[in-house]
Amino acid sequence: MLTVSSCGSDKKDDADAFLSELDEGIDAPAISEETINDILMQIPAPIEISMLMKESGSAYDRTILSNPADVSKYNTTFKRAINLGIYGTDLIYTNIFNKNQEGLAYMKSVKELADDLNIGQFFNIRLIGRLATNNDNLDSIMLITTQNFNAINRYLQENKRANLSILFLVGGWMEAVHINCKMAIDNPEVTSLAERIGEQKIILENIMLLMSFYAETDPNIKELYEDMLQLKEAYGNIEITYTYAEPTTEIVDGVLMIKDNSSSTVHITLDNVKEIDRVIETIRTKLTS
Amino acid sequence: MKVLKYILLVIAFVFIQQETQAQCVPTESVKVCIPKLAGGFHFLKSYEINGRGGRLEKVEYSYPFAKGTMYMVNLCSADGGNQGLVVTLYDAARKQLATSVVNGQQLQAIVFNCQRTGIYYLTYTFDNSTSYCGGSALGFKR
Repeated sequence: MLTVSSCGSDKKDDADAFLSELDEGIDAPAISEETINDILMQIPAPIEISMLMKESGSAYDRTILSNPADVSKYNTTFKRAINLGIYGTDLIYTNIFNKNQEGLAYMKSVKELADDLNIGQFFNIRLIGRLATNNDNLDSIMLITTQNFNAINRYLQENKRANLSILFLVGGWMEAVHINCKMAIDNPEVTSLAERIGEQKIILENIMLLMSFYAETDPNIKELYEDMLQLKEAYGNIEITYTYAEPTTEIVDGVLMIKDNSSSTVHITLDNVKEIDRVIETIRTKLTS
Repeated sequence: MKVLKYILLVIAFVFIQQETQAQCVPTESVKVCIPKLAGGFHFLKSYEINGRGGRLEKVEYSYPFAKGTMYMVNLCSADGGNQGLVVTLYDAARKQLATSVVNGQQLQAIVFNCQRTGIYYLTYTFDNSTSYCGGSALGFKR
């Protein structure tokens, strides 16, 4: 049996251990790879939540982000994978708010963690650095960043490293919810921010399901899973109601436009948001320390 | 003996030709599809569609769609354009919402104006396809 993490502080040792894991594989959970990949696909990309924040008129706040200079602290495979996700969301957040130079600091940290995890080949930091000098290139930076992260996920899943893919995606998702909570608390009048936090209940259920499979064989994921049970509890107070109605369609310029006539309503209060924020803050502090 | 060798060679040739025809590189179709997302849509995900020469009837992906967001799914077939590729959208309860074939016409993309947050399924199938191969891009805008 192999574990995902290493307790040593030597980066080389840890990289060697990771490579060794790649060779030998880990204890697979008692669930098919297909099912795992299906659930992994259902974790949203942080760009969607980040975009909502900008469109809501919320101001950029770098103090709520993880410190890119802390990258050297992450010396286990577990910490690297989860903080790769956290930094990835922070990078997208800086991109969306046109903070390209701050984004570069995150890009460097992302690249360093990816290199340590032997997935650094997906980042062309020179290209992104060159694009970052001009705000007009925002769409290109966003596209390249999103493509890079998709490529990492695909690579990890294809190389039977779904456990790292989970950590990467959960880290990114949790950071997006963390930033969203801060913005919702600062801007309570923008109800769409709180609603988006509430909607994450659906995602959290899938994440918990996925982590439960790996918690059986991976002590790090088990610990994170147990911490996240508190988050699940905080989400227990949130209710989402649905109505269904047949959609209507029309063809416009060769594209089928589908109007969704169904609806969903999220019942969430500011106190609910504050409770979710408190729990995420506790988990996040542990993951980034 | 010569006849036997000849037969074996013919069989090998036919087999190789079939394998070549069945070779699918969906990454190339995906590369074509991403820039084809309509203006204002931000790229989210790309999907590879490999029907393994017709051995797979469908290729399915899922993604959480959020209320108040428009999603565009486009199609790029190895046959050229969007020929032979069909996408069908299902909700979390697997209820079919729409398909990109309307009155026999194969459309290049669908746009879904989501008003109900949840998991949605994108099922790719083939209709008169010769390559059973392609790619698709998912984009969003608010």
